[in-house]
Amino acid sequence: MEHAYLGEMTDIVLGQEFLTWMWYKSESQAGRFKADSGEPFALFMEQRVSVTGGEGDAKETTSVSGLLSELREAKIGLAMGKKVSKALVRIEADAEQWTATLKAEDFSLSSFKTPKVETRREEGEDPDSAFLEKMYLMERGLAFLDCVFLEFLALRFSGGWKEEAAAVGRWMAQDA
Amino acid sequence: MGFLSASASFTRYRIIEEIPDTLWPEIADRLRRNAFKDIDHTSDERSFGWVAFDDMLDADWRTAPPQKGEFITMGLRLDTRRVSPAVFKKHLALALADEMARMEQTKGKAYVSRDRKTELKEQTKLRLMARTLPIPAQFDVVWNTTSGVVYLASIQSKLRALFEDMFTMTFDLHLEPMTPYYQALARLGEERASALEDLEPTIFV
Repeated sequence: MEHAYLGEMTDIVLGQEFLTWMWYKSESQAGRFKADSGEPFALFMEQRVSVTGGEGDAKETTSVSGLLSELREAKIGLAMGKKVSKALVRIEADAEQWTATLKAEDFSLSSFKTPKVETRREEGEDPDSAFLEKMYLMERGLAFLDCVFLEFLALRFSGGWKEEAAAVGRWMAQDA
Repeated sequence: MGFLSASASFTRYRIIEEIPDTLWPEIADRLRRNAFKDIDHTSDERSFGWVAFDDMLDADWRTAPPQKGEFITMGLRLDTRRVSPAVFKKHLALALADEMARMEQTKGKAYVSRDRKTELKEQTKLRLMARTLPIPAQFDVVWNTTSGVVYLASIQSKLRALFEDMFTMTFDLHLEPMTPYYQALARLGEERASALEDLEPTIFV
């Protein structure tokens, strides 16, 4: 058993609400988002979603996966009051693609895939060029994700959150 | 799996203090002072420390400097010796049987005291450790010196704790994990900290 730390409950609450909202948001606007710079990008949550509800021994998690599925069982879970605890996120911008599994409570990323980097080196090329390109792509993908989180934070701590939460609730009820 | 592999798993941190200018020229020395030490020829259970990003056998940065563009790169190497429980059980049984036989011969009764048993356990463990090769592992670390963000190629909580301690010990800098709470705190400001800590969950349905 790990020790509780400062902000642990907030990590769980905010992280799960964010992933839940992001699913609603990406579906309601067909995945279309805009970065701070104005650059458009697409973000989808698909193929793999886990929803969690309850506390302690009564905690219950449903994980649903499917290539072209609507992840209906996960949505039924949401309608029952569960929230998204983990999801596979796909981001597209400028014909490039990133995918990663994002965990709600600590925002750790697993299986993070960036667009492909050419690792074969041309003669005279900087030995670090593949690394630098990889880091550039990684941070570019993360910046899109952070942008969506900031949009969520702004909403979550504004007067408009109540209305937004009601819209999320309607989306859950309609699909379940 | 490191950052250069097709698929990476990682955790993000942010450095929260102002970084003193004097730190930059000391980076390589500080890494060397906390470099990984090999335990192949000892019976130590584990060893950890920094190695070069591109070469886990280079704990002296002979092959390449830690700087790559705006990034500082390093590997956190962790070697661990593990004796299989089944192997341990067998060798402990052998040691106990030997001891029993010896006691019967010298004292006339086959008896091993509790203290002696504990001692035999320790000895067996040490003997087997010395015969086991440590399992090496390297976790990539990349520090973006422009943004102050540090990436650790692991999501395991024990490794994360080890890395946080090592980083602070090496550079005298503290790391804040970029979890939802800390990101919200950075955005909303310290004065909203208590509101954030008591945040009520939203009921969507």
